[in-house]
Amino acid sequence: MATDLRISNISKIYPGCIANDNVSLQFKSGKIYALLGENGAGKSTLVKILSGVISPDNGEVFLNEKNLKLSSPLDAKKNKIGMVFQHFNLFETLSVFENLSIDATEDNKSLRVRINEILKKYNFSINLDVPVLNLSAGQKQKVEIIRCLLRSPKVLIMDEPTSVLTEQETEELFISLKKFCDEGILIIYITHKLKEVLSLCDEVAVMRKGKVVSVSQTQNEKVETLASKMVGQKLAKIKKKINTSKNKDEIFKVKHLNFYSDDPFETNLVNLNFSLKKGECLGIAGISGNGQNELFQILSGEIITPNTSIIFRNKEIAKLNPKQRREYLMAFSPEDRISQAAVPELKIYENVALNNFKSSNFFEKGLVNERKIKEHSKKILSDFSVNTDNVELKSQFLSGGNLQKLILGRELITAPELLICYNPTWGLDVGAINYIHETLIKINDEEKSTILISTDTEELLKLSDRIAVIYKGKLSKIMPSVEVTPEKLGILMGGGSID
Amino acid sequence: MEDLLIKIEKRNDVPTTLYFFTPFIAIILTIIGGGIIFYTLGFNPIEALKFYFITPISNLYGFSELLLKATPLCLIAIGLSFCFKSNNWNIGAEGQLTFGAIVGGGVALLFYNQEGFYILPLIIIGGAIGGMIFALIPAILKTYFNTNEILVSLMLVYVSKLILDYLVVGPWSNPEGFNFPETRQFSDSARMPLLFEGLRIHAGIFISLAAVFVSWFVLYKTYLGFQIKVSGLSLKTAKYAGFKGKTMILIVFMISGACAGMAGVGEITGPIGQLHRMISPDYGFTAIIVAFLGRLNPFGIIFASLVVSLTYLGAETAQIFLQIPQYTGQVFQGMILFFLLASDYLLFFKIKFQNFNKNELRH
Repeated sequence: MATDLRISNISKIYPGCIANDNVSLQFKSGKIYALLGENGAGKSTLVKILSGVISPDNGEVFLNEKNLKLSSPLDAKKNKIGMVFQHFNLFETLSVFENLSIDATEDNKSLRVRINEILKKYNFSINLDVPVLNLSAGQKQKVEIIRCLLRSPKVLIMDEPTSVLTEQETEELFISLKKFCDEGILIIYITHKLKEVLSLCDEVAVMRKGKVVSVSQTQNEKVETLASKMVGQKLAKIKKKINTSKNKDEIFKVKHLNFYSDDPFETNLVNLNFSLKKGECLGIAGISGNGQNELFQILSGEIITPNTSIIFRNKEIAKLNPKQRREYLMAFSPEDRISQAAVPELKIYENVALNNFKSSNFFEKGLVNERKIKEHSKKILSDFSVNTDNVELKSQFLSGGNLQKLILGRELITAPELLICYNPTWGLDVGAINYIHETLIKINDEEKSTILISTDTEELLKLSDRIAVIYKGKLSKIMPSVEVTPEKLGILMGGGSID
Repeated sequence: MEDLLIKIEKRNDVPTTLYFFTPFIAIILTIIGGGIIFYTLGFNPIEALKFYFITPISNLYGFSELLLKATPLCLIAIGLSFCFKSNNWNIGAEGQLTFGAIVGGGVALLFYNQEGFYILPLIIIGGAIGGMIFALIPAILKTYFNTNEILVSLMLVYVSKLILDYLVVGPWSNPEGFNFPETRQFSDSARMPLLFEGLRIHAGIFISLAAVFVSWFVLYKTYLGFQIKVSGLSLKTAKYAGFKGKTMILIVFMISGACAGMAGVGEITGPIGQLHRMISPDYGFTAIIVAFLGRLNPFGIIFASLVVSLTYLGAETAQIFLQIPQYTGQVFQGMILFFLLASDYLLFFKIKFQNFNKNELRH
């Protein structure tokens, strides 16, 4: 029987951000649909609504013209909507069969028969009796898919399924998905990878800032057209004065940066080389999960990689830890401001003390100098217009914007020569974003350098002097930002190549 | 078929006052639970509880015994609080206590026929070093070989107990001891001075009290304490701030081991006066309960050590007056931990009930 899924006028508003703005889409079985968009475009919110994880503020979902009330994941299961998330929900120490039998409603014997039928039909080779932890990421994903298939789904939603897969596993997945599609299962494929959309999907809906901006047949699309739809023709309004002087001193140079990890959720970095001049901002663009996390941690010294050379102000610092790098006047603002850059349970002044350096005198002879730390914190609160002057406040009570101002303030008040920040405006409101952008421009004007790792292309185009794109752990060539257009970035971020 | 679906959600802000108040709730619940157990055993619960909790401390001797048992519990728990606050799960304080007692006892035996003011300090230092070395084993294995410190520290408890066993039966056994598994009596210079004539409470209590103040100072007033606090709350942040994670693990284990080792020395140079097989009624394990009941706060730990010490005494009186086994002490200690963890769970999470119909899933 044909399946028809219709989303009608869905809206979901979070404080300070509209995640879904009046989204309407229609899907019919027999086709594979792509939902394409950058980070924060609203894809995940939409699929969470379809799978009952969150409820929309407005709007309805119809399956075969029946109005669905999806108030929990169970409702989605009952209505035959299956979902495979990017991160697996499996018990690592239980066997494959035990994992599958947990929420099954039939006895083990008939369940095993049915699972074996599925394995045979789709040519999956998985040993049902080994613990899940012994499986590869691709096999774990198959277990998740089997779990959905056992409920004979009408709709199967795949959320960024290839982010943890190898090329080989990706090909196998595509073959299976095409088979499911031929059998009448409606497939919705969430991704930001342009090539995958073109090779796998029949129709593509592009989302940007919570809205559906285009629905089209993939056969009429090319990497370039999709990229410009995904990134949008957003031209930066306030653009910083580009720093072009060629004769400035080189302040920072990275050579042979390689990183290899056994963890499938981490990205390997392959031979990154770049350098930075005084007063310059180097932007590193990319869809999240392409190695930015690892790059940030290596630049900050949280991860030490062998055979890498990092020269900062003519000194080799590749073997130094973050605290030692700070002594050389580097500063770091990580992406995760809530649980990494600060500790929510600690008071503001205690969080300020995290950036401890020799001249700060926060800890004299190993003792806490509370008076000094508090004085210093008060100065940060007023200099960086954080909307409180109470340094005893626990930082969990600060809004995202104020917390980020506190963190940037803490990092910048030491007058560092180089600031490395990762998604500094992620999730903030417009006012806070502008404030932080102005601050970042100001430090470049003061001849201090910045490395801006960001998933927000608009921000990168506005703030960077030169831009490179990181994709699957590899860095593109570094381009002067005057030559970069949103389309070019979009193509590189989606794994395409230009010129 | 209607089923209840239980949903568990994290509470965002737990008031500090309530956080320090829940241990009292746990103690009250333990007393009620104990009353119920006594009732089912056929005793008058009020009478039995009175024997358990009031009688033992109703005279000076009893009070001295309370402090005597609280002394090692408090000292070990103070050491453990350094580990637990920084997310290092040292479960083997009993082993560190035993090994500290072995080294300290070895020093005492070396001087068995000598007198001198320097002997006792040497024994105490020996005990601290012994405990420290024994605690360094799980710490080094954790930092350099990624082993799990819970398992290693726990298993080492049995290793140290077997070493003690071997020594008191074999090479260190008293030559005039008719092959009893015990060493010579220590000389008077190797014994903790008694505080009062006729009572067993000894000078070891000052070591525990000093540990309380020193640990308060270190935890709240020094850079080391700040690093311990941050690492306990968020390892990610500690890494980002550039704290030397490995060194810190070694330091907290050394502090913890030294405290446990000194507690062991306190026992053998205090009430026992020699080495034999049973130098500790599992103080090292019970101190884990003490540390958590005291909320890992130095002054909370004083209070908790007194409460838990009372369960040891109560068990002894209950055995004498009610003819029930001494092991009821462990039942009470277990109940305290159980009720503490349970009330913590309710403190940090809320439970919601929702109805859902399971049959609908089958179609």
